[in-house]
Amino acid sequence: MRNRSLLVLTAIAATGTLTLTACGSRASNSGSSGGSGSTTVTIGVDAPLTGSLSALGIGIQNSVDLAVKTANKTNEVPGVTFKIEAMDDKAAPQQGSLNATQLVGDSSVLGVVGPLNSGVALTMQKTFNNANLVEVSPANTNPALTQGPNWQTGTKARPFASYFRTATTDAIQGPFAAQFAYSTLGKKKVFLVDNKDAYGVGLVGTFKDEFTKLGGSVAGQDHVTSGASDFSSTVNAIKSSGADFVYFGGEYPDAAPLTKQLKAGGDNIPMIGGDGNYDPTYVKLAGTAANGDYATSVGAPVESLPSAQTFVANYKAGGYSQAYGAYGGYSYDSAWAIIEAVKAVVSANSGKLPSNPRAAVEKAMGSVSFSGVTGTVAFDQYGDATNKQLTVYGVKNGLWATIKTGTFSG
Amino acid sequence: MHELPQNLVNGLLLGATYGLIAVGYTIVYGIVQLINFAHGEIFMTGAFGALSVYLGLGSGTSMWITIPLMILGAIVTSTVIAVLTERLAYRPLRNAPRLAPLITAIGVSITLQQLVWGFYPSAKSPRVFPSLPGGPYHIGSILIQSSDIFVLVAAVLSTLFLAYFVRSTRTGRAMQATAQDPDTAKLMGINTDRVIVIAFALGAAFAGIAGVAWGLRYGEIKFDMGFLTGLYAFTAAVLGGIGNIYGAMLGGLVLGLVQNLTAIYIADIPGMSQFSSQSWSSVWAFVILILVLMVRPQGLLGERVADRA
Amino acid sequence: MTDTLQLQSEAAARPKPAIPLPTSVARAATAAGAVITAASAFLSWTYSSQFPGDLTVSGYPGGLQWITFAGGLLTLLYTLVGYRVPVLRLLAPGGPEGTTVLLAVGSAVTTWFTLIAISVELGGLANLTGGGWVAGVGSLVAVVGALALPRDGEQTQDAKLRVLLYAGKRPELPPTQPESPWVEVPVVLVTLAVALGIFSYGIDTAYAELFGGFLILTGFTAWALNRSGDFTRLAALMQRNRTTAAVGAFVAAGLFPFTQQGGNAEANANLGVSILIFAATALGLNIVVGLAGLLDLGYVAFLGVGAYTAALVSGAAGAAFHVQFPFWAAALLGAAVSGVFGVLLGAPTLRVRGDYLAIVTLGFGEIFRIVVQNLDGTSGPNVTNGAIGISNVPDLNIFGFDFGSPHSLGWFTIGRFANYFELMLLFTAIIVLVFARSTNSRIGRAWIAIREDETAATAMGINGFRFKLLAFALGATLAGLAGTVFVHVNYSVVPDTFQFAGPTPPNSAFLLAAVVIGGMGTVTGPLVGASLFFLLQAKLSFLHDYQLLLFGLTLILFMRFRPEGIIPNRRRQLEFHEAETAEA
Repeated sequence: MRNRSLLVLTAIAATGTLTLTACGSRASNSGSSGGSGSTTVTIGVDAPLTGSLSALGIGIQNSVDLAVKTANKTNEVPGVTFKIEAMDDKAAPQQGSLNATQLVGDSSVLGVVGPLNSGVALTMQKTFNNANLVEVSPANTNPALTQGPNWQTGTKARPFASYFRTATTDAIQGPFAAQFAYSTLGKKKVFLVDNKDAYGVGLVGTFKDEFTKLGGSVAGQDHVTSGASDFSSTVNAIKSSGADFVYFGGEYPDAAPLTKQLKAGGDNIPMIGGDGNYDPTYVKLAGTAANGDYATSVGAPVESLPSAQTFVANYKAGGYSQAYGAYGGYSYDSAWAIIEAVKAVVSANSGKLPSNPRAAVEKAMGSVSFSGVTGTVAFDQYGDATNKQLTVYGVKNGLWATIKTGTFSG
Repeated sequence: MHELPQNLVNGLLLGATYGLIAVGYTIVYGIVQLINFAHGEIFMTGAFGALSVYLGLGSGTSMWITIPLMILGAIVTSTVIAVLTERLAYRPLRNAPRLAPLITAIGVSITLQQLVWGFYPSAKSPRVFPSLPGGPYHIGSILIQSSDIFVLVAAVLSTLFLAYFVRSTRTGRAMQATAQDPDTAKLMGINTDRVIVIAFALGAAFAGIAGVAWGLRYGEIKFDMGFLTGLYAFTAAVLGGIGNIYGAMLGGLVLGLVQNLTAIYIADIPGMSQFSSQSWSSVWAFVILILVLMVRPQGLLGERVADRA
Repeated sequence: MTDTLQLQSEAAARPKPAIPLPTSVARAATAAGAVITAASAFLSWTYSSQFPGDLTVSGYPGGLQWITFAGGLLTLLYTLVGYRVPVLRLLAPGGPEGTTVLLAVGSAVTTWFTLIAISVELGGLANLTGGGWVAGVGSLVAVVGALALPRDGEQTQDAKLRVLLYAGKRPELPPTQPESPWVEVPVVLVTLAVALGIFSYGIDTAYAELFGGFLILTGFTAWALNRSGDFTRLAALMQRNRTTAAVGAFVAAGLFPFTQQGGNAEANANLGVSILIFAATALGLNIVVGLAGLLDLGYVAFLGVGAYTAALVSGAAGAAFHVQFPFWAAALLGAAVSGVFGVLLGAPTLRVRGDYLAIVTLGFGEIFRIVVQNLDGTSGPNVTNGAIGISNVPDLNIFGFDFGSPHSLGWFTIGRFANYFELMLLFTAIIVLVFARSTNSRIGRAWIAIREDETAATAMGINGFRFKLLAFALGATLAGLAGTVFVHVNYSVVPDTFQFAGPTPPNSAFLLAAVVIGGMGTVTGPLVGASLFFLLQAKLSFLHDYQLLLFGLTLILFMRFRPEGIIPNRRRQLEFHEAETAEA
């Protein structure tokens, strides 16, 4: 008897469920539909939030979060509330591709900040481009991402209209360092070293071109495997080449032991590197051997720009547990560029988002211009930042100090 | 021209470190026929153990006290970890098909690496390792650092000790017997379990010393340094003839030389200039391994043994 | 187990249930608890819609409530089997009581997992409303009832495992007579449809909590169905209708993109195709590791060889060669080049001891990445464009079908990644076919013979070296084949993808784990292992910092306690548990 009533109960429960699911569904407002009241616009973030690069990635996430909160507080775009959706790409191209499709799938996402690694960018660019979804990278420096694979031969062609970046490309940073070494330091013989990653190879390539154009000579060149510890063969090659200085393309975990072993090997020549070297850990790892080394970094020094100081103060006030890191300022500017573009789109469409907001935002990005953390933020016809200001830092008594700031001009 | 003597010395020093680690692979393989993939990580934990001792002592202590204690710390750390992994992970699989302990070894390797990465304070980026005072010393055109002397002394002493241990002590002879025929050794009253533990511990102690040497020489240690170094050290063990202790040392020296010399002198071969750089040196080391395996599969000093089923 | 032992265990008094209650009361309590659990899904569980899935709505379930609902219904179903309801008696041939225990515990764990998740995320138990408490209490009532049920099935003698195996071991069932195909085929099809449904649901879980709940319940249900003997029966059924099942499984998989419509469709299809690539590669590795017993630790490099080959002849702007092969030619070329690399690597190493292969392949995996990084024009001839990789690989176009753009089929829209999913499914089918055909051929038997005892195999006239080389090269070829699709799906190929161990699949360690955990030497093992593995790492994002650590521990534990994998090959299982069977 009892079993039968139980069966009936189950049947009722089951049918009930089915009818109810058919009737209604939970409120899943995709914000961009442009309904009444405030519309929600999501800014996606794609960065390595875990793993060995997580410090940089979390800095990016927090900085975008700060931009979003600031925009909401000041009601930057009337009628639009911004939201952040952060995805972890684990610095893996595969994961980047998955994240890209997921962000594209969320129709409230009108712009994405990221990624950190150019390898990840390669798998994301086209997916975003197919959906006209704007992507602004705060950290990719490879010129090929915006100017096509044949940029070195002069045939620049923008492969993806939806890809922008606030980071300065190798094509600017390398030559800037070359000019500094040749003209300011008066060094004429360079030994080139790169760590075979996309950033290092690109930087050394552009440095070499400019340096030889200026009249400098290349005494030798070596390539090291990223993550290696023993650089004795490289040190020997440098010593016997008689170079005045070393130009290193890569990041500080490889640069610091190299400069340390070089100085220990008795060759006291300076090492110049890119923003991959400009990190306090570089000095910590290399110790006294770092004294006299230089690194270029993009933008004006933080202490000389009022907007940067505001950013630093706000970041501190935001109570984020992790530092904004090397790319915090660019990430803030990237997010703000998207916010500016949304603002332009909304005001052009009588205070509402148009029916196809992504394409409109992509179009509006080209004419965005504002004074950001890293200087004036605007994009050229390739989607690259027009800001070409760079700064040279040098290690003095175990600390990075500003040596020279300037603008790169061709 | 490219300072050949200096390159030879650098190659030999790098090779001596490989040799110290390779000894561990060779002893363990000789006795239980297991490639202990986690041995590279044992080397890494040894270095971190030494660093912990250094940090615990504070910077005020004299180097003459710190260094021996650091070596001790490294040996204790790596030995304890090696014995624990043997007891918990490998021993239960003693009679399982060969693939099982190999895969376990990979698991142990990843686990140890991640434990250090995740739980050792600020080990997510490289950690600074103290360096030896004094030096550099000039011998002709050759420049020698004080840490280089440490590597040299450590390698020579360790090899001599091992040679004495294996040949002249009771345990050493028990090890040889177990390596030749574990079943008969057991019948002869040898506690093979104990011998295996000793083999693991001995290899780990050498790896710990290598960890200190590595840290002193390069001034920094990182959580993933055991993987590639372990790979090279194993290559060295195979080159020299796995199972042969002197072979491991010899293989290490050969490998160190190959890595250092190819990075510079391949460029002098016409048409090969592009293939000569530090980034190609590991490729050449690997090519040498394949060549040796083709010509002399048992390795430089190895004896041909039938594959035990 | 010998006969005497079986007799003994039957003669011995059945162990008592954990909770002493009259059986009728126990059964009623279980049923009531299950009904309450299921019904509670229709109530509101919390005040705040902050918790993902919005559990504030009364009237119909949402999010994790669906999981609880399903758990309640399943428990109820097997309780009814215990009541000997006529048709339902066919379920649980190995006894319903132990199964009920597992299901009740499973749904209670999921329910409490949800309740705890709500309390933790929203801060405090106060966030639970009456519905939540009803669910929690109901599920516990069911567990109490189930623990008072009489115990059936074969019990373990092992004191250490007594608690864990309270529900009993998997039953040894006598073989049954085949039913008429009119019964069997529909059962096969329904099973496949259910499997597709579960998989689609799992892949579509939008947040880690839901996936967690899903995983718990699926795990317990799988255990329960294994315990009940349903899996044994189904396996026998599938075995009898092998062709139908295989074709049906591929059709079901092919229908997967059609179940994914709406906003997340492309994301899920992308996940699907990534899983397929990973699984197909793992299956290729299974030939090398599972069949021939050769440990290949650099397998992902062969995927890389295929990917780079296909990219070089794809007409991508960044490629060194400006040629565009049709895809079938590119795929064949990628597979062939990869196979050649396999022979080049295998020929010198396979002559020597098996263990050397492990280290040589590990070296090869590392070296492949370094070489590819160096072939960029400055530190080597420009072939692979170095670390920047080959980008902007064009989408495929086969017979005018553009893989890059969405296509409409009636009500369904099939997006870009879904197109590639179908293509990769075809490739997977090819790899499965190669695997299945070779397993049951002279070659496959030779491989197994070599794996078991090479000396004996050689004595029987098998040329060990030749067969090992064949396995190694075939594995490399199949990985190369998968690589050719991989590069088109991802638009680009960079050296960093091909690591030994990294945070995301595919890498050599994960591939090996998929094979080992799934089950060496079987077709379904690596497929299940790969899917499970990929989903776990993709969905449990909060674990990322500890993911590799857990991965390492899982490998160790699996080798210790279940070396034969989730889906064991019968022969291998016996081999791994040789000692235990010998003692018994």
